[in-house]
Amino acid sequence: MADSETQEPLLEARGVTRLFGNAYALKDAAITLRRHEICGLLGANGAGKSTLSRIVCGHLSPSSGEILFKGAPLAVGSARDALRSGIALVAQETSLAPDMSVLENIFLPSYAMPGRLSFGQLRQKAQAILSELGHDHVLPLDMEVRRLSAAQRQLVEIAKALALNAELVIFDEPTASLSPTEVVRLFDIMARLKNSGKALAFVSHRLEEVFAITDRVTILREGKTVAEGVPTAGLTQADIIRHMVGRDIGNVYRKASSAAANEQPVALEVIGLNAPPTVRDVSLTVRKGEILGLGGLVGAGRSESAEAIFGLRHRSGGRVLVGGKEIPPNNPIAAIRAGLGMVAEDRRAQNIVPDMTVGENLFLAQMGKHKGFGRGHSARRKQARDLIARLGLPDDRMDANLLHFSGGMQQKVIIARWLLIEPEVLILDEPTKGVDIGTRQAIYELLREVAERGIAVVVISSDFEELLGICERVVVVSDGYTIADLPASRLSEESLTLLAAPRSSAERNAAFLRDLVTSHGGTAFWGLIDEDRFVCLSVATGKGDAPMGLAAGHVYLAHETAIPLALERRKPGMVTEEDGRSTLLTRLSNRRGHDLGWIGLSLPSGSKLPDADALSARMAGLFETPQDDEIDA
Amino acid sequence: MSAPNRSFAMPKFASTLEFRMLGLAVVLAVILSFISPHFFTERNMFNILDQSVVLGIVAVGMTLVILTGGIDLSVGSVAGLTGIVLALLLKEFPIPVAIVLAIGCGALIGLFSGVLIAVFGLAPFVVTLGVMAMGRSLAYIVSGQRSISGLPLGLQDIVYTTVLGIPTNVIFLIALYIATWAWLTYSKGGRTIYAVGSNIEAARAAGLNTLFYSIFPYVACGALAATAMTFSLAQIMSADPIGGNQLELDAIAAVVIGGASLYGGRGSIFGTLMGVLIMVMIRNGLNLLGVSPFWQGTAIGAIIILALLAERLITWKSRRV
Repeated sequence: MADSETQEPLLEARGVTRLFGNAYALKDAAITLRRHEICGLLGANGAGKSTLSRIVCGHLSPSSGEILFKGAPLAVGSARDALRSGIALVAQETSLAPDMSVLENIFLPSYAMPGRLSFGQLRQKAQAILSELGHDHVLPLDMEVRRLSAAQRQLVEIAKALALNAELVIFDEPTASLSPTEVVRLFDIMARLKNSGKALAFVSHRLEEVFAITDRVTILREGKTVAEGVPTAGLTQADIIRHMVGRDIGNVYRKASSAAANEQPVALEVIGLNAPPTVRDVSLTVRKGEILGLGGLVGAGRSESAEAIFGLRHRSGGRVLVGGKEIPPNNPIAAIRAGLGMVAEDRRAQNIVPDMTVGENLFLAQMGKHKGFGRGHSARRKQARDLIARLGLPDDRMDANLLHFSGGMQQKVIIARWLLIEPEVLILDEPTKGVDIGTRQAIYELLREVAERGIAVVVISSDFEELLGICERVVVVSDGYTIADLPASRLSEESLTLLAAPRSSAERNAAFLRDLVTSHGGTAFWGLIDEDRFVCLSVATGKGDAPMGLAAGHVYLAHETAIPLALERRKPGMVTEEDGRSTLLTRLSNRRGHDLGWIGLSLPSGSKLPDADALSARMAGLFETPQDDEIDA
Repeated sequence: MSAPNRSFAMPKFASTLEFRMLGLAVVLAVILSFISPHFFTERNMFNILDQSVVLGIVAVGMTLVILTGGIDLSVGSVAGLTGIVLALLLKEFPIPVAIVLAIGCGALIGLFSGVLIAVFGLAPFVVTLGVMAMGRSLAYIVSGQRSISGLPLGLQDIVYTTVLGIPTNVIFLIALYIATWAWLTYSKGGRTIYAVGSNIEAARAAGLNTLFYSIFPYVACGALAATAMTFSLAQIMSADPIGGNQLELDAIAAVVIGGASLYGGRGSIFGTLMGVLIMVMIRNGLNLLGVSPFWQGTAIGAIIILALLAERLITWKSRRV
């Protein structure tokens, strides 16, 4: 009986398509959710995970496609109907009413339900839900939501969905701002919901979490479902990433000759940039004529870093040097005059002045840089004409409204706006967002040309293929920290995705590595092994060991490292290299046996070797007794 | 086990702001009673209450509109127009029927604004600005550019009847505030108004009827403007096409002084009552002191700006904490 119920899908969405303007956010997406199951919904940035979640919950209506709930078509586009059928969403961008109390936000949907309200009862119910989440004392029910931290808001959002007692709950990146302890509690609750016969969907970028909690995964790529309901047990991280990344576009990149780039002077140096809450510690250096990529996931703090560098966002720490001279914080005009240019992410909202002509838009940055009283257009008219001609715009259209041009054309005009002020450094945030492939290529050409003229270029992109295609070097940002700075030639999309993924276990593992080297000496490291490459995620070197040349955030070919044999064999027990160095490698996996990389301890020749089996067991046990549980106990 | 419900109805922040305004009203009354011997007399107290009735009723509707993040600039001219309409109806119909029809007319105008704003997504400022111009112009046309007097004497009863020594118009005002307070605080509809103003997307995602509760405040606002005018007509026994002129400014000022945010979601009916009393006392005091009506505009304007500035400084502070 229970079995047949398990087989019957609770919700089935087929051929779901959604257009935003002319762009497909979803194109033939499908998902099936069953009772007693947690289904992971995965995909790269912009693959359509949130759009699909919001369509299922009635927040958006699909352009086409059908959704069956309990076998009957679900009325789409109505949040109220979805809620009444028992579908709830834990939204990613918290959809709370900031001026209302925690209690009211938790029970907001009940204002649309028939029947009398009893605030006394609601209060008791809310207390019960919050104590389940472990927050009955810290989250006062009468507090206004706008006074809460991001993590607390997320908890209110979760409590809101739990209060609905829905049959199907979609968690859209619920763990993004939670601490590990809170994540563990949330997972316990999710497991309980699952066992009580609910169907759950879990959207996350954190693959470790996906392996820890889901039964199946559905993977989206560019709005299309590429893998549906695959049992999680049979997958590896690499499988999932391969699905997420895919291969569609041919080679549109032509690498610039990066010869002698290292001898060029530094154009932009950013040291310890801090702009809370998203940017915590970001450092980077770009040389003249170099194209640097700034990679990471949406929300990792890339755009915010660029805005803080340029002075659009409040900078509370760190230094920004352009051509060796420090520029003051929070002052975009000073940044422009020092030679910085920035093409911001949102073209419509941040770049274009819609009622101005192409010409006026073109001269906008120049007006900021130029100190005179007049607009100074005529002096630069010729230069502007040259640029326009290079962009392939007929110059008699300088007086046309910029909105009449395609997105790609608009983007070129915006880039030209900055080239007109002859910057030292040009920062571009998602320069090819919403641009067709042909124009993309033209923009890449333009960027290379710009770099060849000696301008330092910083490109932010969520499209890792693009990033690796046009950049010579990539700085990876994750959770507001720079975690890697590598030549693009060393990276693949897979390793970049691995590096960019925020890791709940990162801090715990780093602490464990430090423990290892204090008790045994040598060098301890944690990383991923991908065929012949070793992606180093964290490293700790004890006293008395010569550094092995490993650094966190770098990718090495096995034969380049000091431990080629160990990396190649990956066998239990100590492996001794030709020079006498001994290495113990242990595979890390979570409670359900999924790959979380490798932890290793490498001792120089002549060291006292510890008992390999005991040490292996200790390393492997890292995930058996998570620290969180100890804290709770 | 759980805390009493009262704290739920009044979040700490709002109550402190409201009580600050209550304090301001008391301080103002004390100062005025020292400056003018006529201020603290029984007669002047009833005078203040009387004057509070019209503004107070309009401010209730304005509070609802502002709580949803909108604004209604048309209340003054809607009051003027419905006053004229009422005066004309009184010549044809019995008093209760005429009053109901006039209030219905106010509600209809509110519905017109509300639909344009909520369904077609036009800016509340612009829509109600247009309705304000149309209302005033229609008031002149319908009245034939002159005031209408000779209203039936029975109309006075709604003002001059007393219950336990309190005039009925004051009783109506108090009842309206209590009912609105209870509705806004304890009913689903009232809380939905707050949710719509605080984050309409969240309200929509929670399945609330955002369309209805975006339109309803304008309907209530129009109906209440007509109600207020009914009491005004009963007091002065004539309708003038210029009636209710600039009432919208006083009403908005009262709501804002009462701590409501023009961005929506924050404010309370108790705060509005304080705002109304403060506005009326200032006008009353300025009159008692013989200040020229031309200067009174400057005083009222300065108060609105100071109230907004105070709100901004307070929210800045709370954001930094």
